[in-house]
Order: sequence, then structure tokens, then C-alpha cells
Amino acid sequence: MTQSQDILLDVSAIHTFIGQFHILEGVSLQVQRNSITVLLGRNGAGKTTTLKSILGLTPPRQGRVLFDGRELQGKRAYDIAAMGIGYVPEHRAIFRNLSVGENLRIAERQKGDLDRKADFIFGLFPDLKRLYKLSGDHLSGGQQQMLAVARALVADNKLLLIDEPSEGLAPILIEQMMEAIRELSATLTVLLVEQNFLMASRLAQFYYIIDDGKSVHCGEMADLVHDEALIHRYLGASVRVEGGGQ
Amino acid sequence: MKLKAFWRENNTLLTVLLILLALGVIGWSTMGTQPFVRTTLSGFTLSALYFMVAAGLTLVFGLMDVLNFSQGSMLMVGAYAGWQFYTNPTFLFGLAPLVFALMAGLAMMAVIHPWVAKWPIPESWQSRLRAGLIVLAVVVGVLAVVGVDFRGLASTAMVATMVAADPLAEATPQEPLASFWIRPVLLFLAGALIAMAQARPGDPTVVVHKDQSRRSAFLVGGLLLVTAIATLGREAAPIAVLSMNGNLRFVLALLAGTLVGAGLGAVIEMTLISPLYVRPLYQIIITMGLAFVISELIQLLWDPLPYAMSRPPAFSQPGKAENIWAFFRGGNTTVDILGVTFPSYRLFIIALGVLMFVALTLTLKYTRLGMIIRAGVQDREMVEALGINVKRIFTLVFSMGTGLAALGGIGAAPFVPVEPVMGDRYLMQGFITVVIGGMGSTTGAAIGALLLGLARAFGDYLALKFSLTPAISEASTVIIMALVLLVRPAGLLGRRD
Repeated sequence: MTQSQDILLDVSAIHTFIGQFHILEGVSLQVQRNSITVLLGRNGAGKTTTLKSILGLTPPRQGRVLFDGRELQGKRAYDIAAMGIGYVPEHRAIFRNLSVGENLRIAERQKGDLDRKADFIFGLFPDLKRLYKLSGDHLSGGQQQMLAVARALVADNKLLLIDEPSEGLAPILIEQMMEAIRELSATLTVLLVEQNFLMASRLAQFYYIIDDGKSVHCGEMADLVHDEALIHRYLGASVRVEGGGQ
Repeated sequence: MKLKAFWRENNTLLTVLLILLALGVIGWSTMGTQPFVRTTLSGFTLSALYFMVAAGLTLVFGLMDVLNFSQGSMLMVGAYAGWQFYTNPTFLFGLAPLVFALMAGLAMMAVIHPWVAKWPIPESWQSRLRAGLIVLAVVVGVLAVVGVDFRGLASTAMVATMVAADPLAEATPQEPLASFWIRPVLLFLAGALIAMAQARPGDPTVVVHKDQSRRSAFLVGGLLLVTAIATLGREAAPIAVLSMNGNLRFVLALLAGTLVGAGLGAVIEMTLISPLYVRPLYQIIITMGLAFVISELIQLLWDPLPYAMSRPPAFSQPGKAENIWAFFRGGNTTVDILGVTFPSYRLFIIALGVLMFVALTLTLKYTRLGMIIRAGVQDREMVEALGINVKRIFTLVFSMGTGLAALGGIGAAPFVPVEPVMGDRYLMQGFITVVIGGMGSTTGAAIGALLLGLARAFGDYLALKFSLTPAISEASTVIIMALVLLVRPAGLLGRRD
């Protein structure tokens, strides 16, 4: 099949333990190049752990992860990241005692990465240019989120793992963030975790539903939007609350 | 407006400095200039020493939450290594080829890996093979050093210091090259066997990148070259060092002590600390045990006697310099400062402490390493997720910390006795310094060191003046710690989280 050429990330049946807890009990997913794929599911279903398992921060005990045709299991997180994966964690994890500029520069994998990408990054997030010298702990939530995404763009990454970009942001900022992620997907592949169903549905082409540590459903986002039964079964209340305004 | 923000960000620091200043003014007016200046300068000398131990402690604790109870021993190792280099480096130069050869062998991991990874070894035999390799390595390693008279070599240093008239005459004959060369070769082999075990023969899940193999090959080549040079120059080098100008020899001794401390730190982190990051309590216990082991080893090699290292010529010309400028020209033993005759070498220690603080602060603030350290203190996982090898940064920082302590040790050697208990003495003070200043803060460590050093010096002064027990100055450090912790449980500049 020619389709396998287009698959950047191939996760098959991974099992991850955190301490003695069996968090992921068989998650499989495939992410196509230059697409936006979203992981959906209830709180605690294992979405964040899936991202962390791909990156090797919580290495899976079983299963296989292929990135760009290369196997990831057994590698350390820094090696995996250096293969071209950018990570935007939940709660952003901005370095508070570094300035905005330093937060970007620390992500360089080669000297000059930031200078090369500066136009692109500041084109996406013009605010960051203005805030360049400000310390990380003086940023608002929205600014932190922009910085977290920008930080993942400094090095030459092929895949971005973005965890809850809309969390705690005002609607207008969510709109901006969506615009930015959409622009990114022209050159990059994005795997997203998103609780905000509205945002997810407008952004992503493909979806995977994770429930109780297993990937239970997948398909094209366009189909899911009309499948009330499926939404209700796996995503339940969270969708109605956040998507209800539409 | 700016001033207000500055005050808000630095109020603790400024308050402490203001209190010190006020105490200083009171002290100056009641004690009179000369005793005050003398006591203050003595205090600064102690502060500098405390800072050198505390800097590494606080750095290592801040980044990796490791309490290194062997930090005092690192100061001691630095002192012994530097002193040995300065008085009679035969022992160190005899040891160097062995150490470099072992390091070259250990660095072979990535070089061996592509070769052994594809060996068709059934899974059940892999761990047995690894264990066998390590046992073999130990046997080869022991064979390599069989018959080396470590103690005899170390004791030549004693002779040199005790006789002291002509250290060159004491440069001892060493084992002839014809029989010595086999030792580094065997040690290289032992290291390579361990590296082979690390490469996990037959296990394809360990991935080593091609460029990593290439870099390691360069490293091994370089180390082998250094080993060869060290082997050939083993006899000539001590004589060359001993016939050197004393000041140059002292600078090299500072460097040698620091490198030995840093190298030992790196080895300790990689072998003992890093497997235990999931068990912090074990790390504490293992570093404590290490402190005992190092102290015993030192007594084994050098006996429990205290040694006195002579000051380098730049600080030992008889007579008093009128002022600091005259000292720079004359290299006198003592300098006149505001009417006080003060040993010039102690001023050097103060300068070294200040220099270390400035260098450390600038490194943390302006270099990439400093940036990574500051980021890692807050969120190691995110740093790793950016593609940075945090493990290697840990090793580097740990070795920096032990290197700084070792530099402090060799710096202190010319005016404190070099003896096996010096480690414990400075460890305690270093810990109190770090607790006062706030775990993880370099500026905090500097402030803590300043407080402790001054308290010790003024405590001694008061004890002498009112004929109290000198224990009062030793108690003062603990009292200060208790007071600070009452007001600021996280230390003066500690993180409040």
C-alpha cells in the first residue's frame, strides 16, 4: 500500500505503566504526514500518557512505536525528541526563571536554529517578539501557550505533540491558537490532545478516541461530528458543556 | 518605579546586607579599626572557603536533588592531590597513565557496540555473558595493578615535605618502562571489557547512532594518545615539574587538584549516583559511605598525619608590604591593610572565592549550560523533551561542583593542615551555609558563607576578649542557622514551593 509512505507516526498496541498502575492497555494509532490528528477521550483516559509514551518520557513496556520509519522503543526521551519531535505539554511548562528569548534559545539543537526560524515564529506569534526579554514568570496564560508552541518550533521538528492548547485560554486566544496550529500543519504534522470538542472538530482531519487506556475508535473528524451516539458514549458531558454554545 | 521593583525582587538580599553593614558600623566603632579589620578579613577568608564547598552542594542539590555528603571529601582530595603535585608529583604522574588507560577502555562502549550488537547470542545467555565480562574485567584490572607500590610512591611526598631542602633529590626512581607498559595496556583491556558489557552483546534494542560511534572513536583515540604520552613522560614529568618556577608549579597544582576533583566527581556520578535517582535516600547513604571510604583510603596512602604545604614564592618573601600594590611587586608574606598586618595568602583565598562566585554567576546567567541548569532546576522532564541529554548535564554539574570544592581544598592547603579530617570539618560548614542561603541558590550560598565566616571570626574575637570558651564561635553557626530557619524555613534565598 502506498499509504504506509504517508504515515509519519505508527503506534501499535503500547502498554505503559506509571509506578504500578497500568495506564495504557493497548493504544494503537497512526498519524499521516502533514495532517492534524486529535486524541479525544474523557479525563484520565490516557491521552497525555499516550503523548508521553511516544516521546519516551513514560516509556511503554510493550508495543512498538515507529517514527518516520524508525523504531523508538528503548531510546531515551532526548534521543527521540532530537529525531524531530516537538512537545507542547499540558500546563505549558514554560521555564519561569528564563526569559522568553532564553525559553526559545534553549530549544536549539544546532547553533543558529532560532535565528533561522525567528521570522517564521514571530510571524505566527508577533507578541513574543515584543516580550522577548521578559522573564517567563511574568507571562499571561495565553502568552505562555504561544511560547510553549513557539519553543517546539525552534528546532527542525517533523511532528508536534500538543497537549491541551486551549486549556484555560479566553475564546479569542483559542481562536488565535487554532489559526496558528492550522498554519503549522502546512509544513508539519500535528498530534493533538484536546478537551475542547469544538476546537478539535474544527481543526483536526482525523481523530482517535481513547477510553480506559485503550484506543477504541478512529476515523475522519468530519464523520464523528455527526455521530451523536459515539460522541455521547465516549466523550459524554465534556462535549455538551464546551461544544454546546455552537 | 524601577527602584521599587528592584527592592521587591531583592529585598531579602538587601536586608541581610544592610544588617551586616549596621553590625559592621557598630563593631567598627566599639572595637576600634585594627581589631575590626583583622577580624573581618579573617571572616572573609573563612567565608571564601565555605563558599567553595557550598557552591557545588547547592548547585547539585538545586538541579538534581542530590545531597552530596562526600563534597567535603572532594575538598580533601583536591587538597591532597594539589599538595602532592606541588611537593612531589611522582605519585600522580605514575598514576596518570593507569587512569587514562582505564578511561580510554571505558569510552569504547559506542565503538564496540556496532560490532557486538549483532552477535547471535540467545537472550538467556546475554546477562550471563555480561556478568562474565565484568568479572573478567575485574580480574584483568587487578592483574594490571599487581605489584604497584602505591603507598611507597605516596610516601615519597612525605619525605619531600619533611626534608624539603631539595625536592629534586627526592624524585624517586620508578618502575622501568620495560615492565610498566603492560599495566596501562591491561587496564585499557579491563575498561574495554566493561564497555563491552555495557554495549549488551546480542541485544539489538540498545541503539547507538553512527555519529556517536564516531565521536567515541575520536575520544578513545585521544585518550590513548594521552595515555601514551603519560606513560612515556612518567619519569621526566615529575622532574620537569619540580624544577619549574614555584609560582607556575602552584598554578598547575591548583589545576591538577581541580581536575582530579572534577574527574572523580564525574566517575562518582556516573557509577554510584546515577543508578539511584529513583532512590534519593540511597544516594545520601552512598555519598556518606563514600566519605568514609575516601577518608580511609587517604589514611592508607598518606597516614593520618597532618601535612603543611608551603606557600608559593609569590606569597613568601619575608617582610611586610606597605600596601596591596607593593605586595604585587614584592610578593611579601604579609600586607598592611588599614594598619593591620594580614597574611597575603589569605587575601588570595578571598580573591579566589570572589572570583569563583562571579564566574559561577556569569556561567549560570549567560551560557547555554547555565540556561539548561536554570531550566532543569524547575522542570527536568521538559528539558529532556527538548532533546537535551539531562543525564550528561547532571554528570557535568556534579563534576563541576566537586571540582570547585577540590579547588577550594588545594587553595586552602597552604594555610590549613592537610589531614584526613579536613573533609568532615568543611562538609558541616558547607551544609549549614547552603541551608542558611537556601538550597539551590548560588547567591544564597555566598550570603550564607559570608554570615558564617564572619560569625566564626567575630565569635573567636569575642571569646578571646571576654575569655569565654571558643565553642561559642562554633555554636554561632548553628544559632544563625536556627534563627534564619525560624524566619525563612526555605533559607534566605530558597525557593518557596
